[in-house]
Amino acid sequence: MSGEPTTGSLGRSVRRKEDQRLVTGHGRFVTDLELPRMRHVAFLRSPVAHARITGVDTSEAVGTGVRVFTGADFADVELRAQSALPSYVETGQPVFAHGKVRFAGEPVAAVVAADRYRAEDGCELVEIDYDPLPPTVCAWEPPEEPVHAEAPDNVLLERTFTAGEVDETFAGAAVVVERDLVTNRHSGNPMECRAGVAVWDAADRRLTFWNGTQVPHIVRNMIAELMDLPEGNVRVIAPDVGGGFGVKAVLYPEDVALCLMARAMPGVPLKWTEDRAEHLLAATHARDHRYRMRAAFDGDGTLLGIDADVTCNVGAYSVYPWTAGIEPLMAGGLLSGPYRLAHYRATVRGVATNTAPSGPYRGVARPASVYAMEAMFDSAAARLGLDAVEIRRRNVIMPEDVPYKMPSRLVDDSGHYAECLDKALDLIDYPSVRAEQERRRAAGEAPIGIGVALYNELTGLGRAASAGPRMPFRTGHDACTVRINADGRVTVFSGVTSQGQGLETTVAQIVADGIGVTYDDVDVRIGDTDASLWGFGAFSSRQAVIGGGAAHRTAQAVQAKLLDLAAGLLEASVDDLRVVDGRISVVGEAEPRISVAEVARVAYLESHRLPEGIEPGLEATRFYDPIRGAFAAGAQVAAVEVDRTTGELTILSYVCVEDAGRAMHPQIVDGQIAGSIAQGIGGALYEHLVYDTDGNLSTGTLLDYLMPTSAEIPEMVIGHVSRPAANPLGVRGVGEGGTLGPNAVLAGAVHDALGIEIDTLPVSPSRVWEALHAQEVRA
Amino acid sequence: MKCAPFDYVRPAGVGEVVTTLRQAGGDGKILAGGQSLVPVMAMRMARPSVLVDVNRVPGLSSVETDGDAVRVGALARHALLQAQPDHPLLAEAASWIGHTAIRTRGTTGGSLAHADPSAELPVVAVATGATVSVAGPDGVRELDAAELFTGMMTTSLADDEMITSVRFPRPSRWGFAEFARRHGDFALVTAVVTEFGDELRVTLGGVSAAPMRAHAAEEVLAGGGSARDAARAASEEIEPTADLHGSVPFRRAMAAEMVRRALVRTGVEE
Repeated sequence: MSGEPTTGSLGRSVRRKEDQRLVTGHGRFVTDLELPRMRHVAFLRSPVAHARITGVDTSEAVGTGVRVFTGADFADVELRAQSALPSYVETGQPVFAHGKVRFAGEPVAAVVAADRYRAEDGCELVEIDYDPLPPTVCAWEPPEEPVHAEAPDNVLLERTFTAGEVDETFAGAAVVVERDLVTNRHSGNPMECRAGVAVWDAADRRLTFWNGTQVPHIVRNMIAELMDLPEGNVRVIAPDVGGGFGVKAVLYPEDVALCLMARAMPGVPLKWTEDRAEHLLAATHARDHRYRMRAAFDGDGTLLGIDADVTCNVGAYSVYPWTAGIEPLMAGGLLSGPYRLAHYRATVRGVATNTAPSGPYRGVARPASVYAMEAMFDSAAARLGLDAVEIRRRNVIMPEDVPYKMPSRLVDDSGHYAECLDKALDLIDYPSVRAEQERRRAAGEAPIGIGVALYNELTGLGRAASAGPRMPFRTGHDACTVRINADGRVTVFSGVTSQGQGLETTVAQIVADGIGVTYDDVDVRIGDTDASLWGFGAFSSRQAVIGGGAAHRTAQAVQAKLLDLAAGLLEASVDDLRVVDGRISVVGEAEPRISVAEVARVAYLESHRLPEGIEPGLEATRFYDPIRGAFAAGAQVAAVEVDRTTGELTILSYVCVEDAGRAMHPQIVDGQIAGSIAQGIGGALYEHLVYDTDGNLSTGTLLDYLMPTSAEIPEMVIGHVSRPAANPLGVRGVGEGGTLGPNAVLAGAVHDALGIEIDTLPVSPSRVWEALHAQEVRA
Repeated sequence: MKCAPFDYVRPAGVGEVVTTLRQAGGDGKILAGGQSLVPVMAMRMARPSVLVDVNRVPGLSSVETDGDAVRVGALARHALLQAQPDHPLLAEAASWIGHTAIRTRGTTGGSLAHADPSAELPVVAVATGATVSVAGPDGVRELDAAELFTGMMTTSLADDEMITSVRFPRPSRWGFAEFARRHGDFALVTAVVTEFGDELRVTLGGVSAAPMRAHAAEEVLAGGGSARDAARAASEEIEPTADLHGSVPFRRAMAAEMVRRALVRTGVEE
């Protein structure tokens, strides 16, 4: 086999394959698709949070020549997210609400017209009569009227994680810290909202669905099942997708409706482009949680026990296919984070309410759970007179503790947290920030505080590392097909998907190095279920590890065949051949003997030259499953100035150090970290989806739902600790970790600066001002 | 989020605008920069039957010095106000409006006619005692900015009237302070201090249905009071309402702080 390549693209920030089209405005998004006979869809959405539907009248709309679909049309199709957990209450989600509506914004009908304007005109003519029911908005208040009859208390799932002797530990503790923490509902808000185009070919009974999704193969599988179609007759295409962040890892009723309506209108492509108002109203929300936290410490700051009660508002439906368990189970499984802990009790529950369904959002629950955990350390440090850094040092999992079995029984294989922390403290120059803090205190200048968070990101989950809700499928593997074409260039059909993460680039790097060809000679095709064999898609920071691993394995298999063929042609031993930059040489010889292109030509066009026993073609398909997962360590530290008069925060410096394992493309890795911290800061300071008590969304446009712009995001310093993981490429996932820190860091910084505990997020000026005001009143 | 059907007219002169509005019988709407109107039309919260596009009406886009004031055409874009050197308070206020794209399209006449209580230009108009020229069926009339704003997003303009220009007097000293969640957002509080002769005026936006003079604060200043005393007086004379961004006490405190900052920037003793 080949030896170490003298050149290679992995580890270098090569020019991204997708930038030519994305940066010059030539991306191909679902909305760009124009097809003959195309019609446009507008969904009519419930204006009320909870009501019985007592009448549906489409006659006036139909009279204008548009096509209308309502709940009655697809009443037999239901999305039922499944889990094998004993406490799980399975409920169904209709395509269009019928019988009753369960949240404001739920689709109740759709109008198909020549353009979107006319479709919206049609929606105004559809009459739906609602008989209001009392809505439930807050997950920790008892319902007057359950959201689903199957769950009278609205609890869709409850589980208690236990380890050790919790009550005894608290009884004997020197210090017990208690805080009730509430995190703010917000969502991923990708730049491109949801979108779909569906067309039904009646002659062949085939459905093609262009969908801005992170999970095209899952969508194909579920659509085929829901529509009772052969899976091979459903083609899902995810072209360029403008951001996902988990919001697009869900199969939505609107997606299913588009496909069902397309089948009812053969040969007519149906297009729906979601607008931002719909997105804020009806795409999945997240992070609406309450953590009742108790932590027991001994006198020197050693964490002894955690006793937690976690309630997650899962919204009106158990999100398909991930279930209502996605947030609560992640919260309970990873609450203790990167800290040694023996005595643990956490009861977590997912509670249905009359609000938009909650779903996966970058970091799933951990931006909230890290905040809850770090708050315990901040409060304990204040009580014990310890430095925020010191108390964390005394409790963090160290390399010698690894593999460390967390109290939730997940196994931490990292242990590089202290190393990340040390580097972060160096980068922010911790002693001088502390000195500046003291100087300002003495001079009476605007106070600054330092916030610290350590976290572990569970990435690249294999079949044996599931932290999830025991769904009827395991997402541990992906497939890849690598084909060397007759001209020697390489086409890869990968199961990964990209919403801007540069997966075409990363996969091309892996395959180029895996075969021994140049990066420029590799093209990658993704997002088409007719082209790629299998991939679960983009979630759980899995694709670098799993999709990357599949690309690596497949490239090696193709290289093996390439060299077998070359060995026959050259009458040399395979073991003596090396392939570098598309040229094959024999060990010890100065000049290459033959190019990959020449060998490929033989494989396809010159069968008379094929060596004995070698099949034509140069292609392989392989799967990869890491079996376990790869924990990625991270530390974030920030210095924040607080304006005592307005409660506003100014982030003076923000440092993040992560262990991404081996960084295949350093610029992409840094981009993932910077982008996820920016989203984390958005959630910590600005973004908040607020419902009024009637269940109406008060923040229905970007005028009220405040996303951070580049002006709100500080310069960041990103550092790396590169400890290769135990997988073929040595990589760890890096897509989500950045979001885990900012809640804890910014709330912690306010605590450090002013001595006030921020128990409710976001850390808005009014929240800080009110807390300061209360402090002054007490004083 | 697509507009309901409407007719579209693009007149070539102010007279034709007024005639078209009159014919629309109260159901016409002027389209200038469109930065507020188009979103509410897309949400179908505004449903004019006729959209009267004034962007091709000539002679309404200039900013000119006019004695001790600056006369701004109704179609002058915020970006132009921001760039002009003759009225520094207007330039400062314009820089707080939205973002570059919004400032490039949005107009002075549009902002005043829209009368959003948390927008910057209405506050400056009241603070400087601006004179608004309005064309209607009977020719042009002039009114004081304070008479223009009658309530939340409502004005004394008739359905068939159009603002053609605004004359902003130049204060001898001034101070501007705004509190918003992000730069470019509508203000939670805007405080503008202007000095004309020996009179200090304090004007607030975002705390009431229309921009308001803080008369109690002005009296404190007239009596030789400090910026802090005036700020406290201002915070006590307003009646803000609680919303997503804060409670009544918080909004009073922000009003006080912005008044204090604006006064200090004017040169008033803290």
